[in-house]
Amino acid sequence: MDSSAPMLENVFGISWLNFNLSNILMMFIASAIVFILCVLGARSLKMKPTGGQNVMEMVIDFVRGLISDTMDWKVGKMFLPLGLTLITYILVGNMLGVMTVVSFNGEVWWTSPTSDPGITLTLAGMVIVLSHYYAIKMRGMKEYSASFFKPFWPFLPINIVSELSNTLTLGLRLFGNIFAGGVLLGMLASVTGGSVLGFVLGAVPMLAWQGFSIFIGGIQAFIFTVLTMVYISQKVTSD
Amino acid sequence: MSALAAAVAVGLAALGAGIGIGLTVSKTVEGIARQPELRGQLQTTMFIGIGLIEAMPIIAVVIALMVM
Repeated sequence: MDSSAPMLENVFGISWLNFNLSNILMMFIASAIVFILCVLGARSLKMKPTGGQNVMEMVIDFVRGLISDTMDWKVGKMFLPLGLTLITYILVGNMLGVMTVVSFNGEVWWTSPTSDPGITLTLAGMVIVLSHYYAIKMRGMKEYSASFFKPFWPFLPINIVSELSNTLTLGLRLFGNIFAGGVLLGMLASVTGGSVLGFVLGAVPMLAWQGFSIFIGGIQAFIFTVLTMVYISQKVTSD
Repeated sequence: MSALAAAVAVGLAALGAGIGIGLTVSKTVEGIARQPELRGQLQTTMFIGIGLIEAMPIIAVVIALMVM
């Protein structure tokens, strides 16, 4: 498991510009799977839904429930595509690493895209930036900047730190859960594949931890979406 | 020595988060037992709370990795 990532370093001769090729590959694969599944689910819509359309409707209803729990549906309906994208992408991304890990020449190529802090922190940062954008757009610049001085002005540094820590915890929670799950799966796999005794002792924990990883992946996708909606609703709704 | 420090950091964080999540879930179960019709709402709130609590041990793990 102690293998490195396939890094492409110093692109275009710039000394700090590095790319993790495995991340890029897995982001493309996860996006492609989500796209194909959603197109299959939304193709040939009927009044009496069957198969894929049923699943799509269930997912949309679920996200809709999450949003209307946290904010007014009149405001919240514009965030339905965002929530839907986040929950499907993160769920598929988490599942990819639970199923298989492929390494080639000692470099891990196929793993969860969400087990890299860069991707999860980018997602979290985008969500927080988006919440600020909608706060300015829907409440006006004056009310938005006044919200930093609530409940009264000495709270300004605390409010700024809370924004930063929101971003950090939102990204690191997803990363930590998926990464830790992947590390433990790799350890169990090396024990199970090592010897006959290892197989006997390791097979059952391996299966159990895979099941638990699927559960964790689902919960983390859910929590990420819920917290996104909570953060946005804190910004968007005025009290 | 740094491995020891990392182990202590992760262990204490896991201890605290375990107690915290245990309290959260036990109170939620009590609430559901009292009012079973609020189950869905209580569960959503519980998962949000667990998500917030869980951030602490995760950050501790990151700090431990940095120490090592």
